[in-house]
Amino acid sequence: MDAADPSRQVRVRFVTKLPPPLRAPPTAIAVPAELSRMGLSEIVNRLLLAGEPDHQAQPFDFLVDGELVRMPLQQFLLAKGISAERVLELEYVKAVAPRKQEQPLPHDDWVSAVDGSNPGFILTGCYDGLTRVWKDADVCTQILEGHSGAVTSASFINKGVETDGNSHVVTGSKDRSLRLFKFDTSVTMNYPKRIGAYKILPGHTSSIQSIAVDPSGDMICSGSWDTTIKLWAVEGSEEDGDAVSVKKRRTNSDTSGPEESQLEGSASSTLLGHTQCVSSVAWPEQRTIYSASWDHSIRQWDAQTGKETWNMFAGKALNCLDIGGESSSLIAAGGSDPVLRVWDPRKPGTLAPSFQFSSHSSWISACKWHPSSWFHLISSSFDGKVMLWDLRTAWPLASVDSHKDKVLCADWWKGNSVISGGADSKLCISSGIDIV
Amino acid sequence: MGHANEDLRPDNNDGLSSDNEPWSEQDDDEGSLSFDDSGSDDSDEDEAVAGESDSSEDEVGPRNTVGQVPLEWYKDEEHIGYDIDGRKIKKRDREGRIEQYLRNADDAKNWRKIYDVYNDEEVQITKDEAKIISRLLKGKTPHANVDPYPDYVDWFEYDGKGHPLSNAPEPKRRFVPSKWEQKKVVKLVRAIRNGWIKFDKPKEEPNYYLLWGDETDTADNKREGLSYIPAPKPNLPGHEESYNPSVEYIPTQEEIDSYQLMYEEDRPKFIPRRFETLRSVPAYEKALREGFDRCLDLYLCPRTRKKRINVDPESLKPKLPSKKDLRPYPRTCYLEFKGHNGPVKSLSVEATGQWIASGSSDGTIRVWEVETGRCLKVLNVGADVHDIAWNPSPERPILAAIVGHDLLLLDAEVGDEETKMRTKELLCVDEPTPEDDADGKKPAVRWVKHEKFDGITLIHHKAVKTVEWHSKGDYFTTVVPTGESRAVLLHQLSKKRSHHPFRKLPGLPVAATFHPTQKMFFVATKKFVQVYDLQKAEVVKKLESGLREISSISIHPGGDNVIVGSKDGKLCWFDTDLSTKPYKMLKTHKKDITSVTFHRRYPLFASSSEDCTAYVFHGMVYSDLNQNPLIVPLEILRGHLSLDRRGVLDCKFHPRQPWLFTAGADSVIRLYCE
Repeated sequence: MDAADPSRQVRVRFVTKLPPPLRAPPTAIAVPAELSRMGLSEIVNRLLLAGEPDHQAQPFDFLVDGELVRMPLQQFLLAKGISAERVLELEYVKAVAPRKQEQPLPHDDWVSAVDGSNPGFILTGCYDGLTRVWKDADVCTQILEGHSGAVTSASFINKGVETDGNSHVVTGSKDRSLRLFKFDTSVTMNYPKRIGAYKILPGHTSSIQSIAVDPSGDMICSGSWDTTIKLWAVEGSEEDGDAVSVKKRRTNSDTSGPEESQLEGSASSTLLGHTQCVSSVAWPEQRTIYSASWDHSIRQWDAQTGKETWNMFAGKALNCLDIGGESSSLIAAGGSDPVLRVWDPRKPGTLAPSFQFSSHSSWISACKWHPSSWFHLISSSFDGKVMLWDLRTAWPLASVDSHKDKVLCADWWKGNSVISGGADSKLCISSGIDIV
Repeated sequence: MGHANEDLRPDNNDGLSSDNEPWSEQDDDEGSLSFDDSGSDDSDEDEAVAGESDSSEDEVGPRNTVGQVPLEWYKDEEHIGYDIDGRKIKKRDREGRIEQYLRNADDAKNWRKIYDVYNDEEVQITKDEAKIISRLLKGKTPHANVDPYPDYVDWFEYDGKGHPLSNAPEPKRRFVPSKWEQKKVVKLVRAIRNGWIKFDKPKEEPNYYLLWGDETDTADNKREGLSYIPAPKPNLPGHEESYNPSVEYIPTQEEIDSYQLMYEEDRPKFIPRRFETLRSVPAYEKALREGFDRCLDLYLCPRTRKKRINVDPESLKPKLPSKKDLRPYPRTCYLEFKGHNGPVKSLSVEATGQWIASGSSDGTIRVWEVETGRCLKVLNVGADVHDIAWNPSPERPILAAIVGHDLLLLDAEVGDEETKMRTKELLCVDEPTPEDDADGKKPAVRWVKHEKFDGITLIHHKAVKTVEWHSKGDYFTTVVPTGESRAVLLHQLSKKRSHHPFRKLPGLPVAATFHPTQKMFFVATKKFVQVYDLQKAEVVKKLESGLREISSISIHPGGDNVIVGSKDGKLCWFDTDLSTKPYKMLKTHKKDITSVTFHRRYPLFASSSEDCTAYVFHGMVYSDLNQNPLIVPLEILRGHLSLDRRGVLDCKFHPRQPWLFTAGADSVIRLYCE
């Protein structure tokens, strides 16, 4: 087969799972073999235009046997050993890439934590110790204050479900404490409003690196530099919290805001096992907690008994961890090298990662699975890039280059946007990502 | 006897003349009777015959010369033979029998006449001859005076002759075995048994030699003096060297022209050509030239055997494990800590590895967060920071920094409240009590409160260069290179006390450090490393580096191995158990080594240099004392820029990860990760 031969043609049939206006006639047509994604996309758009005169041209991605076509068709067929004689079935999906870059949201210091689990709000933690709530990716409605160190992690407790018009938020900071906040989601006037914590959870002896809230919203776990993971009850210790509520807070902590009674809670249990900084925790199911650490291991814990149930040696100091993908059981983790790795813990007896994505050029600072898709995940790196990955191809789907410095955190928002915060004190939002 | 012979001949003639029977009858009968009678008559004739015979004896022998051939051959001839001149001798005319008879009857001496057939003449026998004949006929000796029976004369002497002349019987000893013979046999038997006598001779090896063999590869070509160097073997001639090769061997004109473009060495030595006949092949044109060159070679280049060792250079390299097996080790820079405005002279990593502190000549100390590279704190101390050391105890986040001439102890403020309280208590100093020095000199060190940073300043009598903590975090040491007898000082933080136990040093001290586990102390001077026992206060060892000027020292966490970096770019590894001489000397850097350091957990060590590089080595120390440490160079870390001809000024390992921090003169701190 001569790759330079322009006359070579492949017979293909375009199929799709997309709804009818985007469904092309399922007849086999011959296309030039050297076409790549863009050319194929153009052909599909022509076909659709023939069926529907007011069709808007849009890019598509093509799948052959569950693998994305990322090179000229001919080369792809050669690499995969697929015969060019028979009719090739090309499934097309909408191309996944950010269509639009929103106006970046400015901060006073490095943005170190971001949470996009609430479709109405974005939560950002900052190195100035403040946690900001942004409504509709536009305005900062609340500033949650109280931490004396950088906020390293922030999370909504009741994701999207608003009880009595209040949203609950937990933040972890380098000042060794977690704070619980609640804010009124309906406030529209006089923003930004400064809000203090209603509950403080001290107990860690070193910086908190990561927090995770359990799916029911009752428990919080936190990983820290003191090598421990602590579990906290959100509501549980209210009664003994009353006893310390009258205790005057330290003078150097910020008390300028409206004086509210601050409760103090203590950890319900501590998970010991890691030998170095626990850099990331994840709580995907009610019973299991995953943690990644600088001691190069990933561990799975039973949330009820506090026992370690499984561990894995990753070989590198790890910075981030997320659980997701197929039946929400794949582990994605990145660390002190530019490779994002995905393990399948259901595969027995292997430490080799199932997928490796190595387009970054520096440490990976964050990785997140798409909340609904099995294939898509994002990673952010100290090289200033946020990359969008699909498990079906080793190339990144898209690379967001809007940061000028290290990207420290990234998350999905509303299922179609990627939000990322970095050392250039900005929160960047890339929207318009169609994942069907 | 001569006479006897002569006398015999007439006898023969007699025998032959068978015709003369009447004569013999006469002789028998009458002759003997009348012997005495005729004897007197014959005397004249005897003389005459004797005269004849004498002359015939002297001059003429037998007339006839035919030799002893049968005379019948001449029976029918006219002659009887030939005389000495070859003339025929005619036969005499035969007389008739009657005439013969008549003549004989007349002649009285007739009976003495004998006819000689050979010579064809008549011979007359003399009286003596007749006498001899008659004696012989009678069976007597021919001469009458011969005595046939003389008496026996026993003339033999018997005495002293070895002959068995005796007839005595053989003596007994002839039949008894001989003692001497037996002794001789015993000797032979012994010789045979001992193998001195061998019966089966060794078979002679057939001495073949290879007729077509190559003389070069026989081993016995060794001679006295110059050994035999075989000439290189020329290749066998191929078809192209034929005088009339096939067409395909003959290069075209373009090919021949293209040879001119080649280098002379690459040109083909022989260009095939065609000739009709062998006769037309010209003489070899270069024969003279080559012969001359060969002679020149022999004359100008004496043949000497070049001792060339045929060793694969790869095999001379020491067997080192592959770098892949020695992972993890720092390889690439992923993080840079930027913010300083001047060369970063020193850095130190906190015990847990969460923070680092750096001191720069821009007059600031900065505390950084390792995981993000964020500068947490800037402490403006207002003078050059030469050295900085973080207290190795995690409960005491105290920084010791050499600011200007003096040492500054301050709280890094990274711990929680309790730690902060304790640190504050620790860094609280009473009013300095004026120490009375006997010599009236000012005290070596004064502990003074530092107002700005709420810390302590240790004011030394002279400029301090380095500071090093003990692993427990209570003691620390400072080195004042020009301090003479008070050059190396030990301080105790909890009691705020200082002393200087080392009075005598072999040279200017450069650095000092504690043993990681035992109560030992290392002081590096410009050429030596002194090892002190702190309890006994005496020198235990003196390590001789052989370097020009030591610049830095680091102790292996096990405590038995020391590395020393020098200002001529060499790095020495000492195994103190092994010897006081360096175990390995690594000449790696082109410029001064500024810092050497061991990793506390991984078998790694590193050196940084003014040539803008840092080297990472694998340095495995085995617990087995018989096994020497394994040193493998792993990586050259580049990336720093040179500024003012200064490169990397300090390097430190992360305490828990295989990461290396380097501080550069380009005011950047880099973190190299695996």
